[in-house]
Amino acid sequence: MHVLVCGGTGCQASASAQIIENFQRILAEKGLQNEVQVVRTGCFGFCEKGPIVKIMPDNTFYTQVKPEDVEKIINEHIIKGRKVTDLLYLDPENKEHVSDSKHMGFYRKQLRIALRNCGFINPENIDECISRGGYEALGKCLSEMTPQQVIDEVTKSGLRGRGGAGFPTGVKWGLCAKNKCDEMYVICNADEGDPGAFMDRSIMEGDPHSIVEAMAICGYAIGATHGLVYIRAEYPLAIHRLQVAIAQAREYGLLGKDIIPAGYPPSASRHRPGPRIRPAR
Amino acid sequence: MAKVKSLAELKAMREKLQSTLDLREKSNDPDSLVQIKVAMATCGIAAGAKQVMEHMMEKADELKLGIVFTQTGCMGYVFGHVDNNRADEILTKYVMNNEMVEGVIPVNYETI
Ligand code: FES
Repeated sequence: MHVLVCGGTGCQASASAQIIENFQRILAEKGLQNEVQVVRTGCFGFCEKGPIVKIMPDNTFYTQVKPEDVEKIINEHIIKGRKVTDLLYLDPENKEHVSDSKHMGFYRKQLRIALRNCGFINPENIDECISRGGYEALGKCLSEMTPQQVIDEVTKSGLRGRGGAGFPTGVKWGLCAKNKCDEMYVICNADEGDPGAFMDRSIMEGDPHSIVEAMAICGYAIGATHGLVYIRAEYPLAIHRLQVAIAQAREYGLLGKDIIPAGYPPSASRHRPGPRIRPAR
Repeated sequence: MAKVKSLAELKAMREKLQSTLDLREKSNDPDSLVQIKVAMATCGIAAGAKQVMEHMMEKADELKLGIVFTQTGCMGYVFGHVDNNRADEILTKYVMNNEMVEGVIPVNYETI
């Protein structure tokens, strides 16, 4: 059994760290620590009803869990297999409790692409990311595609910036690649200045490796050797998670010099960008 | 940690690691998989449900069956009497070939 506890900023503010601690402690007291895995995930996107706790395999979605509810969840749900009804989401329309998030109006119509791993993996564990295909796109670019092919592919995909202009990403990369100079940087602007927006933070906190991988791909495509993420100091958790991700990627040889050998051109120097983080002060 | 040196290595790693997330991947879409519910209230556990469930999980892995196991509360009858041999039979006969296993479902019931 896996217990996923949201460790995003929203849920952390309402004591999710204490919830995790209680799960670990009470499970250990009952000798269940090897049978039940407690995982701290990123944001589920449902902060309004946080802290969120999800129990797998029956996909039960508990909302507004308090640290003192943990004992009940363990005794009732984990041990006896009975869902704790009053912690289930209450559908505002038909006033019924919904146990599986798939059937909640909020999630029903969602198809997650960029956020596919958020709330599903432990963002501080690169293995969980790799087991969902993380870094394979980078591996493919480096070993099977030329930088120009990568740019063409991104152009074909229709990917565009999410800022106001919606500038086509492939065109941007193509322009950068043409601009030859001795040191090039990939800059990830994660400042997220628009009021009330926190989608960048969600990705950084919930799936930081996807940013590291994407920056490395961009670096390969345009010929940059350094990466820089610009994050505001008010996002300490995002900074921390990204730092962990970068360190893990380095350790695995997925970032830095001499990573997966480039196929084209065979003799190219293999310096790949390694993002550094510079919080705004 | 040895460095990942090629795409092939990365893919092999993924394959090896996948089992760690298996449970989560499967339960993301539980409707498409066979679900086995083992009654595990106090009475069921006392009657050995825990051992049987563990045994079934191992066997299912061995046979490479994609099954989600959940434990439920008391099903209302402390019989059914599934032991390890019965459990194997359920997997090979019922799950794999869709044949009912005699004597497991209490008489008078067709399904539970
Ligand atoms: S922080 Fe927990 S759901 Fe967003």
